[in-house]
Amino acid sequence: MAVLPRRIIKETQRLMQEPVPGISAVPDDSNARYFHVIVTGPEDSPFEGGLFKLELFLPEDYPMSAPKVRFITKIYHPNIDRLGRICLDILKDKWSPALQIRTVLLSIQALLSAPNPDDPLANDVAELWKVNEIEAIRNAKEWTRRYAMDN
Amino acid sequence: MEQFEQLLTCAICLDRYRNPKLLPCQHSFCMEPCLEGLVDYVRRQVKCPECRAEHRIPYQGVQGFPNNVTLQRFLELHIEITGELPDPTSGQVMERCNVCSEKAYCSFCYHCDKKICEECKGAHMEILKREISRINNQVRRGIHRLQDSLSLVEKNTQNIQTNCLSVSEEIEEIYRRLNKALKDRTEYLRGEIDRYLGTELRTLTSLKENLEQEIANIVSNCDLADKHMNENVDIWDDCELMDTKEIFLKTIEFIRNFEYENTDYSRRIRLVLAHDPNQLVLHVAGFGDLNISNTNNPFSQGTSTGLLQPPGPGLMRSKSDHRLAFRNQDQGYGERNYGEQDNEQVLSGRKFGERQQKSDKYGSGYGRGGEYGGDDYDHEGTRSARSKYSSRFRRRNTMAEDDSDNESRNVRFHEQQPKTNNERERPLDTEDVTRGPLSGITRLADSPRVMKKLQENPTGKKKEKEAPPAPPKQPQVVPKRQPPPATRQVSEDDEIAKIKKQNKGATTSTEPVTETTRPTVEERHPVQQRKTPAPEAQSSAEDSEESSVSAHQHQQRQNVPPKTVPQPTTRRSSESAHKKSARSASSDSSSSAESSSSSAVRSTGAPFTTEEVKQKYLSRSEAPTETRSRTASTGANKEPVAQLTKPFQSRFLNKPATVPPPPQSKKDEEESETSSEEETETEEESDEPSSKKSDEKMAKTDIGPLLARSAHARDSSSSDHLRKKEESPINRSNYSTSEEPSTRYGSKRRTTITSEEEPPRYGYTSRFLNKSKSSAAIAQDDDDYTSRYTTPTNDEGSKYPATGRSRYMALKDRRQRLARSRSSQQFGDGEDETEDAGVTTPISPTTSNPTAYLASRGYGTSASAHDLARSRSTHALKSRDNSPERSSASAIEKDGAALSSWARYLKNKYGNRSGAKDKDSTASGGNSQASASSSSAARRLSLGLPLRSSTDLASSDDDGQKNMQGSPTTPTAATAAAADIAAAAAGTSPRSKYLQKCQQLFQIGSRGSEAGCFTWPRGVAVGPDNSIIVADSSNHRVQVFDSRGRFLKEFGQYGSGEGEFDCLAGVAVNRIGQYIIADRYNHRIQVFDPSGRFLRSFGSQGTADGRFNYPWGLATDALGFIYVCDKENHRIQVFQSDGTFVGKFGSMGSKEGQLEHPHYIAVSNTNRVIVSDSNNHRIQVFDVNGKVLTSFGTEGSEEGEFKFPRGVAVDDQGYICVADSGNNRIQIFHSDGTFLRALGCWGSQKGEFKGLEGVAMTPDGHILVCDRENHRIQVF
Repeated sequence: MAVLPRRIIKETQRLMQEPVPGISAVPDDSNARYFHVIVTGPEDSPFEGGLFKLELFLPEDYPMSAPKVRFITKIYHPNIDRLGRICLDILKDKWSPALQIRTVLLSIQALLSAPNPDDPLANDVAELWKVNEIEAIRNAKEWTRRYAMDN
Repeated sequence: MEQFEQLLTCAICLDRYRNPKLLPCQHSFCMEPCLEGLVDYVRRQVKCPECRAEHRIPYQGVQGFPNNVTLQRFLELHIEITGELPDPTSGQVMERCNVCSEKAYCSFCYHCDKKICEECKGAHMEILKREISRINNQVRRGIHRLQDSLSLVEKNTQNIQTNCLSVSEEIEEIYRRLNKALKDRTEYLRGEIDRYLGTELRTLTSLKENLEQEIANIVSNCDLADKHMNENVDIWDDCELMDTKEIFLKTIEFIRNFEYENTDYSRRIRLVLAHDPNQLVLHVAGFGDLNISNTNNPFSQGTSTGLLQPPGPGLMRSKSDHRLAFRNQDQGYGERNYGEQDNEQVLSGRKFGERQQKSDKYGSGYGRGGEYGGDDYDHEGTRSARSKYSSRFRRRNTMAEDDSDNESRNVRFHEQQPKTNNERERPLDTEDVTRGPLSGITRLADSPRVMKKLQENPTGKKKEKEAPPAPPKQPQVVPKRQPPPATRQVSEDDEIAKIKKQNKGATTSTEPVTETTRPTVEERHPVQQRKTPAPEAQSSAEDSEESSVSAHQHQQRQNVPPKTVPQPTTRRSSESAHKKSARSASSDSSSSAESSSSSAVRSTGAPFTTEEVKQKYLSRSEAPTETRSRTASTGANKEPVAQLTKPFQSRFLNKPATVPPPPQSKKDEEESETSSEEETETEEESDEPSSKKSDEKMAKTDIGPLLARSAHARDSSSSDHLRKKEESPINRSNYSTSEEPSTRYGSKRRTTITSEEEPPRYGYTSRFLNKSKSSAAIAQDDDDYTSRYTTPTNDEGSKYPATGRSRYMALKDRRQRLARSRSSQQFGDGEDETEDAGVTTPISPTTSNPTAYLASRGYGTSASAHDLARSRSTHALKSRDNSPERSSASAIEKDGAALSSWARYLKNKYGNRSGAKDKDSTASGGNSQASASSSSAARRLSLGLPLRSSTDLASSDDDGQKNMQGSPTTPTAATAAAADIAAAAAGTSPRSKYLQKCQQLFQIGSRGSEAGCFTWPRGVAVGPDNSIIVADSSNHRVQVFDSRGRFLKEFGQYGSGEGEFDCLAGVAVNRIGQYIIADRYNHRIQVFDPSGRFLRSFGSQGTADGRFNYPWGLATDALGFIYVCDKENHRIQVFQSDGTFVGKFGSMGSKEGQLEHPHYIAVSNTNRVIVSDSNNHRIQVFDVNGKVLTSFGTEGSEEGEFKFPRGVAVDDQGYICVADSGNNRIQIFHSDGTFLRALGCWGSQKGEFKGLEGVAMTPDGHILVCDRENHRIQVF
């Protein structure tokens, strides 16, 4: 494995030194491009109080291409499917090298506060979210309690 | 400020902007690699990472975007404000890395001579570091060699002293003895004369008286008769007259008849000298010479002296490693290239060429001085070799020292640098650096650069490596190459850390630790002082270094006592360190004062003023040079030593012949058996010998004196055996050796012999001689064996030096004891001795062993030889044959006997071939009992083996035997032929010939597949017409050249059909010119007629009898039997020439008689089967039955050691040539396996090898070597 690019080193350092509130990202011991991420559920969202584990991987050509991020903890969210994949534009076509790990994670946190059922990934969830938001939020809270707490 | 910084940070690389480019959207990014990475080449667009605006890329690419000048100003401003260093890469342009071809800021890499990116460079430096530490390990492992040689040098010094002492004692002894002998003899002779005079006088007086009386009587009678007969007085009666007449008649008769037996009384006494008095005087006058055995040829020395032998080639190699290293740094000096073999990148072939020549030069001397102890050889060998080194470096050093200002040296460097292919700077090799006087290795610790680094980087994790490739590494250890101006000042912390580190390193050396503390303390202030002109400190450092190093080197060099150079007390630490772990110089020593690198040393030096130090240094440096030069000179013209050693010779007065190690050491049990048997026989026979006198006479009459004598020797020896059974084998071998032609001495002797024949009066002298001679024999006796027997010289030498004195005493005792174990004497000297023996023995009262005496006498004479003939070997026969007196009848008979025994052997071995003959012979043999009891093999041994071992005669004998074998029906012819051969062979001294070999005579071929070219040649053989046959393995053909290397023909092609090959390996040619080829990958042997036409093939893959697994080398013997190295079956198989399986021997393993990957094989004309037991790194010698006769060699690269030996060859004298493949050299051994010499090294120049395969020896003494990777045959 080639030497880690300076940018990754810098980002990692900064993540360690000035962690984003509610977000922790720790590089794996054996692979500095792989991060173990924990995102706290935003306040005033159904995910509040939950600790959501994610994995984040910086591909070879990062920052020219977007990091790959996936939820490990199950979550009830219209833009996140059962496998934890995230529907977020900046992780896809809207990626910009000016973005960083922290901005990505912040975006994800923001996504938790503001689900966007109009651009769904998990159709059933999105459907319910659109049809019966209360029910959906209840489910989300339930899932959060079940999967994202006490662990 | 933070925001300010953020503004100067590129959003992509999160680094400070480098060459910011302004996009039309007003966002800026570094040009490389950030903006570059954003380019969408398909659409020729750039999308701004910040605002996602898309911009067309200008025609020239992203470079075409305007620079953000404002930003750049800000950047500069920021630098000014913060005072931080400018980005080192600013202003640089990215290039493609030449290794990973990524775009990056590349810089030059000294490792690969390319511009490469940091990343790759880091990796390369890692590699370098690893390599260095590996080499360092090697160096460390190898250090003991130097230490060994130090101890050796010390030991040698002692030895020399004891040696000289014992020699002078010996001289004293000899002097005493000579004196006494002379005195005794003189007195005796005088007494004899007096006695003789007395008796003669007495007889003469009485005779005179008688005569007078007679005359008186007669006169009175006459008077009476005159008076009375004429007077007619008749006083006489007839009776009285008659009586008177009778009386007168008687008187007249008496007078008539009386004749004074002149002879009886006029016998004059005459002093008869056994030797020409002139010569005698000469002999006495030059009764001894001091001969310094010339050791000089580093390869030539025998194994026996291992004790004293400095690690020979190995050491050199290790040295060469150093050299190599050194060379890296300082190629300018590379007069010689020593490549390092095990380094993957071989920098250059080692060239030992010079050395070879040298050895050769000395080689001749060696032959001459052969009598001498092997030890001396060693001495000198190493000495010379070393002295060479030293001289070389001395030269350099002196040069360096001569121009006391270092600049001149510098200049030199400059001049020479261009030679090196890459003129890379050698940051560590500055004029200040001390170098090892022998190796020229720079001491890293002394390099200012290194010192600086160490100081800058106190935490530097690594100790300095001694290994030279260090330069590239250094920069890495210290992250910043350009030292900030302040670096010079070393903080105390740094120092302490450094010291700590050093101490840690010092753990290896115990003493230094304590020592180090002191230097460290001192260290501090010199360091600060360093800012001030440092030279003084340096010089002192140098000087200490020099002394320590020189000591070090001394040991290498040799006899120079290591501590010739006075060491200042301050240096103790370095010295001790040095002693301990020799030159852990850099690493350990770093711990100690030495490497405290320089710094410590320097500190010690500090107290001196510059001048002082300098002067000191200069004076000191001179000292070593002197010593050095001395040694060198000694090496070159071994005068001093020569004188010293000569006494040795004297001691062996008559023994010179023993010198040349004779071919064979057969001390098998069988042998001993047979010998004992023989003894008994001899005894019987010895009784028989009829008239001693006649024998004696004959002996004297000198019939083919050599032969007769040799016979003597033998006989006596055998009789000796009776006395001393254990010794008998020894003696035997001695005999055989006795006739070595090679010694100068011997040959001289021979010439003088004729004149030496003398009447047998010599009791006294001869006795004396015998004694001295016997000592030689004795020496052999007490030793333990093989090498010993055969090579008396060696053992003598080795022994001698080892326990100089005691040995001598022992010898003396021995001598007395054995005084007349004549056998040894006789041999010992070949002719001279024998002669003496023949002459002397009769009278000499001292000979206690009558049987021996008789035997010797009897055998010596050709007449008695008859008796012997039966039981005796061809040897005896031979002598008879040559002797003029021999009767043809007896000759025939003898031949028959000899033959029959051979036949017997053959029969036993190969089936009943000449049974009738055999039987006859047994019957005819007087000693049927003995023969019956002995196995036929033993028989053979008794016949053949002893013969073989002797050089001239023996070999010729062997020839004779061969001939006989070849044509069993015409024994007489065979013997005659043998005699001829013997005659022809006499006088050649293959040994010296081999010793002289050093230069390639010519070579054949190069890589290719045309005629005369080779691709991986393997086997090589010499045909009966001296043609050269080469197995051109990967061209799947056999090529034949004439003896001068001109291409004659080729045959064969790739395939598995008849006459086709698949990577053939071994070739051999039998006596009728048929080619026998080991068709390796076809697992078969093919036979071709002399014109190259396929005759037959046999064998296939498998492990059964007659099957092969990759047959490799092969050989044939005189009878056409084919011996095949069945490599993967780890055995030798023997076939008849028609391919019929005869036998096999060997199995996988490393025990005696076992083989692992036998590669090549050779069969001597004495039917010794020599096999290169490759993976066991040894040569084993079998008899044709597969019984191990001897084996020699172990893994290693010293003399007589092997690494995967491959080709073997044996000449008609029994010398064995081994292609020591792993060491890329040829080694030549005596037939008993004692080392004679080595030549060659790795490389592709003339006389260098890369991957040796087969070797062959031509009848005229050339050695053909198959140099596989160079695709050529070299002829030496």
